[in-house]
Order: sequence, then C-alpha cells, then structure tokens
Amino acid sequence: MNTMTEAAPVRPIEPTSYHVKEGNQGIALKIKDFKLWYGQSQALHGIDMEIQKGQVTALIGPSGCGKSTLLRSLNRMNDLIDELKIDGRIDVGDFDMYGPGVDVIALRKRMGMVFQKPNPFAMSIYDNVVYPLRVDGVTKKSILDEVCERSLRSAAIWDEVKDRLNESALGMSGGQQQRLCIARGIASDPEVLLMDEPCSALDPIATAKIEELISQLRGQYTIVIVTHNMQQAARVSDNTGFMYLGRLIEYGATDTIFTKPHKEQTHDYVTGRFG
Amino acid sequence: MANPEDSISTAAIGVSTGKPATRTGGKRVRSFTADLSAVGEPALWGFGGALAIGIILIAGFLAIIAWNGFTTFWPKPIEQVELVDGTVIAGEPTRYNTFTVGESVLARLNDAQRQEIEDNFGFANRTLYKTANFDLYGDDFTWAADFDIANVERPSGYYLFERQQWGTFVGFPASLVIGGEETAYDQGLMQREQRAARSRFADIRRLERRDIGRINHNQERARLDSRKALLQYGENDPRYLARVEVNNARIAELQNEFVEVQQRISDIRAIDSQYRVILEEVNGRTVDTNLSQIVRFYAANDVNWFQQAGIYLSRWGEFLTTEPREANTQGGVLPAIFGTVAMTMLMVVFVAPFGVITALYLREYAKQGKLVSIVRISVNNLAGVPSIVYGVFGLGFFAYTMGTTIDQLFYAERLPSPTFGTGGLLWASLTLALLTVPVVIVATEEALSAVPRSMREGSLACGASKWQTIRYVVLPKALPGIMTGMILAMARGAGEVAPLMLVGVVKLAPALPIDGFAPFIHLERSFMHLGFHIFDVGFQSRNSEAGKPMVFVTTLLLLGLIVLMNATAIYVRNRLKKKYAGSQF
Amino acid sequence: MKPHTNTAFDHDLQELQTAVLRMGGLVEAAISKATKAFVTRDQDLAHTVVTGDKQIDALETEINSAVVRMLALRQPAASDLHQVVSVMKVAGDLERLGDYAKNLGKRVPVLNQSDLVEGAGAAVKGLSTLVQSMLKDVLDAYVRNDLELAKAVLDKDREVDQMTNAMFRELLTHMMEDPRSITVCMHLLFIAKNFERMGDHVTEIGEQIIFVETGEQPAPRQKGESTSMITDPPGADA
Repeated sequence: MNTMTEAAPVRPIEPTSYHVKEGNQGIALKIKDFKLWYGQSQALHGIDMEIQKGQVTALIGPSGCGKSTLLRSLNRMNDLIDELKIDGRIDVGDFDMYGPGVDVIALRKRMGMVFQKPNPFAMSIYDNVVYPLRVDGVTKKSILDEVCERSLRSAAIWDEVKDRLNESALGMSGGQQQRLCIARGIASDPEVLLMDEPCSALDPIATAKIEELISQLRGQYTIVIVTHNMQQAARVSDNTGFMYLGRLIEYGATDTIFTKPHKEQTHDYVTGRFG
Repeated sequence: MANPEDSISTAAIGVSTGKPATRTGGKRVRSFTADLSAVGEPALWGFGGALAIGIILIAGFLAIIAWNGFTTFWPKPIEQVELVDGTVIAGEPTRYNTFTVGESVLARLNDAQRQEIEDNFGFANRTLYKTANFDLYGDDFTWAADFDIANVERPSGYYLFERQQWGTFVGFPASLVIGGEETAYDQGLMQREQRAARSRFADIRRLERRDIGRINHNQERARLDSRKALLQYGENDPRYLARVEVNNARIAELQNEFVEVQQRISDIRAIDSQYRVILEEVNGRTVDTNLSQIVRFYAANDVNWFQQAGIYLSRWGEFLTTEPREANTQGGVLPAIFGTVAMTMLMVVFVAPFGVITALYLREYAKQGKLVSIVRISVNNLAGVPSIVYGVFGLGFFAYTMGTTIDQLFYAERLPSPTFGTGGLLWASLTLALLTVPVVIVATEEALSAVPRSMREGSLACGASKWQTIRYVVLPKALPGIMTGMILAMARGAGEVAPLMLVGVVKLAPALPIDGFAPFIHLERSFMHLGFHIFDVGFQSRNSEAGKPMVFVTTLLLLGLIVLMNATAIYVRNRLKKKYAGSQF
Repeated sequence: MKPHTNTAFDHDLQELQTAVLRMGGLVEAAISKATKAFVTRDQDLAHTVVTGDKQIDALETEINSAVVRMLALRQPAASDLHQVVSVMKVAGDLERLGDYAKNLGKRVPVLNQSDLVEGAGAAVKGLSTLVQSMLKDVLDAYVRNDLELAKAVLDKDREVDQMTNAMFRELLTHMMEDPRSITVCMHLLFIAKNFERMGDHVTEIGEQIIFVETGEQPAPRQKGESTSMITDPPGADA
C-alpha cells in the first residue's frame, strides 16, 4: 500500500464525505485512446471519452460491443483475465490508473461497482455493507455502524432492513439484494459508481426502484451504467455513449442520442434497426 | 393407471417431489407410480432394473452382516447329543449344512441308513456343535451327521462358562472351593464369589498395567537417559558417569518398588487360588479353574428371555469396552475402535489443510495452463492407485526414511530399537492422508469452482485482496462442498486396511496410543484397527470357526462406526449449508 | 432507411402512413366535391360532403389510437418517434381540412336561396384549386419524404393568403355598395377565410414532413394573410 500512496492516496473515511463535494463540475475519468485485447482479439479500439463528475453516464450498444469491457476497465476488473493487453490511458483525477506502480486494490476502493446479478456475500446484511471497510482494515464499531446506516439510507433500503441487519443477506428479494449491493458499492465512499447492467436480473418494480435510486444518487456520485435497456439509459442518464464493435460510435447528451443522433449507426440502434 | 403420458413423465423424473395436492381441491395430474408397461419408455426397464439390482445387492449384503452381527451374542441353548456309537457330546448347535457322504462313512453304516442317503441322492444333513472345552479336546467344534445321531435333548442344568483363557466351557459346575474349603455348588454363592474374584482379577490387572507399567516406563527412561548421556559425552566423561550413577540409583529404587508391587500381586494371586470352581463336562472329565478366570456363566437351557437379553447386552458391553482375549476371538475390540477413530481423525487433521491448500493453489492462484492440467490429471489418477502401493510408500518413505532420520536425530539413545523408524499411528495416518488427498483436492476444486464468479468479483470490486476474497467469500461458500470431500475421504480412509498392515497396524497392540505417561499421545505406537481385526480374526486365528461370529460383529461395528463418523460430518456440513444457503432470487 | 429488426414495427408504421394517405384522399375529394357543389349550386352533392365528414373523423380517431398503441408498445426513438408524432399532427390537420370542406358544404343550401355576388364563384374556385393542388403536393411529399416539394408547398401558402386578401377587399366593397348582399357576402367571407385556414393546415403538414426528415421544427413562417390590417376601402364613406 505504501508504494502507491503518492499515486492514489487512500481517502480517509469521513462520515459525511461521500458527496461529490468539489462542485458537480469537471471530469471524473478521462479515457484516452484506450485499446484492449483479449489474447489476439481486440475488444476495444481506441476509446476517447470523458466521464463528467456528478453525472450519470450510460453506455449502450449491442452485446459484445465492448461496453462491459470498457466499464470493467474503469476499475481494472479485467486484470483478472489472463492474456489481457491494453494500450492508452485512463486518467482518474490526475494519474493514469494503468500507469506503473498503481495499487489496484486501492484503486478499486475508489470505484464502487454493482454487477448484473445481485451478488451479496454469504454473510449478514451488516457484514455485507461494511465489507469494503473491513477489508480496508477498519475495525472500529462506531465507524462501521455509521457507514452501514448511511450507505443503506443512501441506497434507499434502510427502512426495509434496519430491523434485520444480522440476518443473512441471501434471504432478501432480488431487488433488495441489488440495492444492498449498491449500498456496499458506496460504503467505501467511492468517487465513481460503476454499474454493469444492474437491473437485467430484476422485475420491473425492482428495476423502477433501482432507477429511482440512481436518480437520487445523481449529483452525489459519478455513475457509469452499462445497460441493454435503451429506455432505461434514456430515463436515468445525463450522457450516453453508443458503442459498436469495440468503438465508441457516438457520445453525447442523452437527449441528443435518443432524439437526434448524429451517426447513422446510433440512429439504427436506438430505433431498432439493427442486426 | 393414469394415461400413458402421466406415467411417462413420472418415470422420467423418477422420484416424486410431490407435496400432497392442495387440500381444498383439484386433481393431481402426476401419478406417483410407474407404469410397468413402460409405454414409449422401454429404457425404463433397464434403468429400473439396474437400480433394483444395485439395491438388492446392497440391501442383501447389509442384511447378512446385520443378521449375523446382531445374533452372535444371543445366548443359544445347549444340546446334549447321543451318537449311534455311544459317544455323547454337548454343545451349542451353530449351523447346519448338507454334505456328500463319503465312501468310507457309507461303508460303516447299516442298510437302512444307506438307503436313506441314497434316496437323498447321496447327501445327508449335519449339524455343527460348538462343544467348546478346548483344553480337554483340542477342538472347539464337532460335526454331527443326522444318521449318526441317536438322540438329541436339551437337559436342564447345562452351563456355559466363558473363561479368561481356553475359551468357553460347556458342562456343569461340580463343586466350589471357597477360601480353600470345598463346598457343594450353589448358584447364588458362585455368582457372589465370581464377582468378588473378578474384582480381584481387575486389581491384579490394574497393578500390572498401571503400577508395573509406570515402573517399567520410568526404568526405561532412566536407562535411556544414561545412554543418551553416553552418546552425548562419551564413555569416560565425568558428566556421563555422574548421570549413570543417578540413573542407576533411580533404577534400583524402581526395582524395589517393582518387587513390592510384584509381592502385592502374588498376595492377591494366592488369595485368588483359594477360590475355585470344579467344572465337569458331559463325559465326566473335570477342570479345576480359578473363579477369577470365569468371565460369565449361565445355565444355558434354563434362562428365560429376560436373562437372555441381559446376557446379550452384557456381551455387547464387553465387546465394546474391553480388550480382546483368546487371540482376538473373544473379549472386546476397544483398542481397535480407538485405533480406528484416532487414525481417521488424525488423517483428517492431516488431509484437510493439505488437500484444501493444494486445491486452493491449483484453482485460485496457479496460472491455468498445460502444467496445471497435467497436475490435475495426475492428482485424479492418484485416486486410482492401489492402496497397497501407498502402504509400500508409507513404509519405505515415512517409516524407513523419515522415521529413521527422526530416530537418529531425536531418539538416538533408543537405537537400535526403532521409535519412529517403524510403522505407527503417525505414519499410518500420513499414508492414509496421502491416499485420500486426491479425493479432497478434487472435491475442493469442484466446490471452489462452483462459487459464482460474480461473488469473487464483488469482493474484489470492494477493494479486497485476493486472499481476503478467498478467506471471507470463497471459502465460506465452498465449505459445504469441501466438507463433502472430507466425508468421502474419511469414508475411504476408515475402511482402508491393506496399506495399514505395512505401516503400523498390529493384531494386538500392547498399549493404546494415548495413555497417562508424558507426552500422553504416542504417535509412534502401533495400533489396532477394526478392518485389520476382521482380517485377523477371520483368517489368521488358530480356529477360524470360533472367530467367524466375531468377524460379522466386528464388520457390523466397523460399518456402524463409519456411518456414525459420516453422519456427524454430514450433520456439520448441513449446518454450514443452512448457514450459507439462501435463495438466489 | 434500413428495415427494423422487428419487421412488425415497419408494418405498423406502413399502416399508419396508408391510413394518413387514405384520409388525405378523402379530404381532397371532400374539398373538390364541396367546391363543385358550391359552383354548380348542387345541394345534394353538398349534402354528401357534410355526411361524408363523419368518415374522415372516424379515420382520425382510428389513426390517433393506432399512434397511442404504437407509442406504448414500440417506444419509438429518433426518426421513428418523429414520424409517429407527426402522423398524429397530420391526421389532426387533415381532420380540420375535412371540417372546412364540410363547412363549405353546409353553406351551399343557404347561398342557394339568393343570387351569388358576381365573380365570387370564380374566386372561390380559384382558391379551392390552389388549396387542392397544395394538398396534393404535400401528400405526395409526405409519401416520398420529399423535402423540396414540401418546401415548395410552404411557399405557395403566400398565394392563398393573397387571394384571400383580395377576396376580402372585394366582398367588403360589395357589402358597402349593396347592403342586401351582406348575408351572401358574409358567407362568402367565411368561405374565403376557411380556404385561408386550409392553406395553413396544409402548410403545417409540410412542416411536419420537414420535422420528420430533419428532426427540427421549421422557423416561424411569414404570414401573407393581412385581413386583420384591412381598413375601410377608400371612398367607402360615400
């Protein structure tokens, strides 16, 4: 951990520091000519993209277009894959997250992530939420309690679970599990919340709740969401990027993408003229 | 039968998962019996047949073992048999069979008998009587062919004596010697005195075991200490000589103690010899034996059902809680139970961390490639290596190589007699651990790979390190699966005999691996094992007929023990499963 | 444009278009028949126009519910969305056009009770011909997504406005000259005004075509109609 303190200082956990405080202006992530290969096949072809701080950015595109790969590049989850090669850079704050000497673990603490399928751990609800802090070495009960409540409140699930924090998280419904995962994702006070198709396994009511939650978190967190559901992207996001075959075809305000896209491929995709 | 489609679906699914249909009404669509005509599903006969054959084989095998095992200890009546030639024998009828009558036998029979045998196509029936009284006749059993028997009766008054030595005795108690005075037999008196004699016998045992054992142990320690000093300092070193002096003084002291204890023992023995019983068998020959030698006795033809049950339970008690006697054909199997459990537990202690860590490395850390595939295939194949090969390896590597080295380094004073340099509990457990480690590795790998990727990613995305992820997320989730592997390993290990014969199992262990002398757990000691006990009693004893019932009882016990250990493990696993399970959605 | 992945979407869109064109055809016929009835003073023909409007109204209702269904089920985006939304507006415009034709038909029996003002028949016929040609053009443009034609129609609206202005002045003069003709002139005035409104609706259809194609609403157009500015004709106080 010492090797990276200069590059990516671990921010102290303060009870109220989870808002994007420095105004909702500026750029949270700057992706510059980012390329990625799985072995021989190139999955991303020179992505250039600026993720705006405090806004919701949606990535849409057909399956296999590389949107999930791009999302997972943002917290280096792709590192788990053998034979992975990358080129270009992704700047978070003022340093390149793929630069030399970057502590991946510390980086991931700055990037909360929510997955396609709710994946709570086989522990109590409480332990699930404070897991990111526990693995960070926080043991003080008062801090953990506070973060637990704050995160669950932020994830709009506190009232549903406050009386059963010590019960297994696996006994919750799918939608609750996903909101729990969001609470877990924001527990460590991340700068960016990455969501990989967070509603694809949920029913419409649970989906609506998650979307409502995303709207509430907008402004507090920088959110990047990958979704297959174009209406969802249109509903929740400020900016939308359309990806196709590993390229970012068009990136701009969501209104524009869904009403007056500039590229024909984008138009064909959002109007359902694809394949 | 319902319509064919219903029955097909039932057959295909096999078992009913059905809760009863709602009480309020509705018709059950699925029928819960298979259609024997197997319409459209001819393979049903094959599948069902295979299953049926398997079940019949296993059930039959279990039934035979259970029947023989459970009935062995039930007291049987004693029959007095008068043979045609005038000899009289008495004993428990143990089994019957049909045999071909030989030419020489036919020759001495009369015409009527011969005719009868001829009508029976040359066969005749015979009965095996357990006549016991080995000390008088040199044999425990006698066959009596039906044509030879003139008369069979079950007269009252016959007794069966189970003796500490020479096996059982069938006959009558003729008279008693109490305190040196000969008196007439009296059942109540005999029971009283026998109990007192048994407690004297137990005293002697205790003195021999505990006191003399301690004295011997300490003498040995003193002797070894001298030798250690010799090896350490050399022959003429004053320090050595001083140590020898101290130790010799200690040995002499202990020797005095020994003589003292010995004296006490012979005192008790002298008293013991004042209390005897004279036993008379059917042909009038008598045996004079100390009452303390009588383990149990009862009037075989006069006991009622409750007394029989009492004897039955007391025999089971003896079997489970005492040491064997009479070359393992009688008495109990406590050391074997103890050895089996201790070895299995120790094996689990070795195999669990070893197998789990190996699997963790293979699945979680190693770069998945050709090398890992080869390792994995090799591990899987290891499970198929004959177990005796492991025995040879255990003996050659563990006992002879590692053990000898340990002896040279730490137990040099005991050489040339080996300490770890021969088979023992530790080496046996290690050998079995090696034998079962593939099972654990394979099961653990399966369990680990069954942990959803999304869970690992969830943990990593929270900023957990790989080890933290494994420790807090992967292992808990995989634990039930790992436990399954452990259960399989235990089942395999507890039932294994062949390699153990090479690495530490003996037919009669002088001492348990755990006792009251420091360091209390003696991993170097050889031990007894139920599996080997079965082999020994059944096929290695002087009288396999006498040992046969014990084979079944011991087999039953071994099965019971394995079931018990597995049941415990399964219980633990299910608790874990419940703890970590939950609806995914 | 590429077909939709879900071809039923294309089929539904196609049906919407067809319904609009059918409606356009009915409206064209209604205008032409109403004009003919006016010119030939044929009350029966006028009556068929009045009753025929029900059909146009029914068609509009049908189109509107089809559009609502489409929005709910297909959630069209981008150009599809523009097209679907425009269909609803175009149908509305056509319905208004139908209403104006019906209105003309209703006035025929009234006008038949007295003599027509001289020259009015020709003027109305001229206006009608112009509006009909614009409607025909705009429907053509709609079918072919023809931006140029749509823009041309937009330009023609000015002519309609000017013709209306001219007729307004003329009728004003007539009324001042002969107060007995006021009833007839008032009717004629409304007819002229209706044709001017028809022109506006046709223009709106043209604007929808531009919106569908470009995604942008055209800039507010220059109105040529200036009857609101007309004061007493010089020398009318005589």
